[in-house]
Amino acid sequence: MRFVTKGRFSFRGGVHPPEKKELTRDSEIQPGPAVKQVAIMLSQHIGAVCESLVNKGDSVKAGQKIGDSDAFVSAPVHSSVNGKVKQIALQSHAVLGRSMAVIIDAEGDDNPASQPSHTEFTDSFDIDSYSSAQICTAVRDAGIVGMGGAGFPTRVKIEPNPRMPKETLIIDACECEPYITCDYRIMLEWTKQIIAGTRLARKASGCSQVFIGIEDNKPNAIEMISRTLEDCGDGDRIKLAPVKTKYPQGGERQLIKAILRKNVPAGGIPPMIGVVVLNVATAAAIAEAVVSGTPLTHRVVTVTGEAISKPGNYYAAIGTTVEDLIEFCGGVTESCAKVVLGGPMMGIAIADLKTPITKTCGAITVLTKRQIGRAKYEGRQTPCIRCGRCLEICPENLNPTKIAHAVKHNLLDVALAYYINACMECGCCSYVCPANIEVTGYIKTGKIFLARQKKKMPE
Amino acid sequence: MLKDIAVSNSPHISKPLSTRAVMVDVVIGLVPAMAAAGYYFRVRALILPAACVISSLAAEWLCNLIRKKPGSLGDFSAVVTGIILALSLPPALPVWTAVIGSAFSIAIGKMVFGGLGANIFNPAMVGRTFLTASFGMLMTTWMVPATIPAALSEICPENNVEARTQATPLAWSKQAIKDENGALIYNEQQFRATLTGEVGGCLGETSVIALLIGGLYLLLRRTINFHIPLAVLLSAFVFAAVFYLVDSDAYMQPFFHLSSGGMLLCAFFIATDPVTAPLTRRGMWLFGIGVGAITMLIRIVGGYPEGVMYSVLLMNAVTPLIDRLCRRIPAGGKPS
Repeated sequence: MRFVTKGRFSFRGGVHPPEKKELTRDSEIQPGPAVKQVAIMLSQHIGAVCESLVNKGDSVKAGQKIGDSDAFVSAPVHSSVNGKVKQIALQSHAVLGRSMAVIIDAEGDDNPASQPSHTEFTDSFDIDSYSSAQICTAVRDAGIVGMGGAGFPTRVKIEPNPRMPKETLIIDACECEPYITCDYRIMLEWTKQIIAGTRLARKASGCSQVFIGIEDNKPNAIEMISRTLEDCGDGDRIKLAPVKTKYPQGGERQLIKAILRKNVPAGGIPPMIGVVVLNVATAAAIAEAVVSGTPLTHRVVTVTGEAISKPGNYYAAIGTTVEDLIEFCGGVTESCAKVVLGGPMMGIAIADLKTPITKTCGAITVLTKRQIGRAKYEGRQTPCIRCGRCLEICPENLNPTKIAHAVKHNLLDVALAYYINACMECGCCSYVCPANIEVTGYIKTGKIFLARQKKKMPE
Repeated sequence: MLKDIAVSNSPHISKPLSTRAVMVDVVIGLVPAMAAAGYYFRVRALILPAACVISSLAAEWLCNLIRKKPGSLGDFSAVVTGIILALSLPPALPVWTAVIGSAFSIAIGKMVFGGLGANIFNPAMVGRTFLTASFGMLMTTWMVPATIPAALSEICPENNVEARTQATPLAWSKQAIKDENGALIYNEQQFRATLTGEVGGCLGETSVIALLIGGLYLLLRRTINFHIPLAVLLSAFVFAAVFYLVDSDAYMQPFFHLSSGGMLLCAFFIATDPVTAPLTRRGMWLFGIGVGAITMLIRIVGGYPEGVMYSVLLMNAVTPLIDRLCRRIPAGGKPS
């Protein structure tokens, strides 16, 4: 049996950074460190921050709900260990700076959590025994959010919405970020969960067609998924769609463009054109939540980068600190220059290694000065020569240099006129800039300024 | 171990490409033209570029010193300006004139606006315009290529054998338009001479083949886009063709206009200067069409035999307007 593994379609623009997946591509998902303490962030998603349901000194069990919110757009958080609540305090947060977290001292077993077994997704799994409402409730109760990075509560995405009927479900299996391989390993090792999760998500959302979009640099995963689709009951209703390998192919707007040849309105979201996009890791989590009732307390994290002694993929408890994970991987080498939560293109550089990982954190990339490049490391920027490379590669067809310079000179109205809000911050413009200008950085800053203006926030 | 980790905005990696690399590419692209110049104009092809480059660098260094700014010689943009100016000068131009011209290019053409990236006009063309206005006689005295034996120089109608100077093909064409005998003046032999470069003219503009090789290199390296060169050449061709079709006795063949004068140098190296050209593709087309059309307007209707330098400067002036006119629409359409 031969499968089509070559992608024919893509989107306009984009870049080809060195993939560097070979560092961890062949590393199987191993149990993460057994930690003494975890810090569970009360905000691990887009939407309302959870209220803590526990108090200092309370005993908690692994999988117990410790934070929730009444808001529609939100997701509960669960403890990932058995233990005692030490305190509820501010903790470094990759996106928000500082945010409240429940800090739990682990007690009892020192064994790290083992991976979910996936035998139950083959024989006993029966899609007909779950109703749409049941699936949505289970997804919500398990605290599942988009695990590709954005962290949008999954229940809100898949629940049928009469105002925006959903027709197409796309499972995002691109993993276009350099270095990261956690989704790739999930595709190879947890294929059945992914397919089960996909079918559950389709049932919940009522979508008529389903695609699994995957970059064609992962032929093994393509083959694996194709085989599993053949084996499962209604595999012919799920189409595997290989797409070209290019960054940011895994961005939902770019994936929709590549598979459906449709554009999502600028500044809009996929449901506007009847599409739901879910990450593969999210699909796997849905299956676990619905079938086994397991809340989202662990996730696969790729710990990688040239400065890591033993790079690999680990099934780590959410709330584990970056420091613990790095030490578990043998620490960093001398040349370490930057620690990034996520991949090098869109990840967030952190200064505090006590930052705990969240549901959305798929990788820790530790870069050396050499990988960053000297000029970039030192922040040396030269004047823009208007070479137009950023325009050429912009996946959203914007004029990045114009927006960046408008923000630089505090001309927010000009930035708006050049559609600053249509930017999705993929970082391609900064990546190609020969003058090393932090184009994306300026655009992000501009968006913050605009948000402040709108909310009349103090400076 | 983790004392000095850096924090910054994403992305955390960048393509190994610098402004200097871009400029070096342009210099490499100019090498064939310089080599052709060396073949036809011998030692002049060495002296003029050297003088221009040194003078450009000195001017930039001095300007930075006066403005109390960090040195910017490392980006090599002054080298590019110097070479392009030298290649667009008559080979017989005295060195001191070239030195003044390139210092003017850098100081007034670039540095007064704030240095690289801030200038409105192409610095080399600013310098050349200045020289044309100031030293008109020197700027229109053309050397005969060294490869043409003295005895054969009578092919050039206004040849003065003793001074070894001759008119450029475009100057004959101007005369031909006046006398309405374009068809008589232009023949295949002369067309071939413009291909190799064995004609009178500016240092680097005579050899079509050399310029095409250099231009192709830049296109393949993606240092320049094809939009501007194509637009310049197409619009000039169409413009010239219209006149040629109206009266083929009085006007030159369109190919003649593309192959002679600074047309190719302009299309590949001058009009494509990213700083002074529009950013968007539609803008590039508009800009290129404008450059080609104005050049032909000057050549055919205007008083000068050559029009590249003024047309580039005129289009440079409207570049900000073009950029404003040709905004890009986001991939997802205009947000409502």
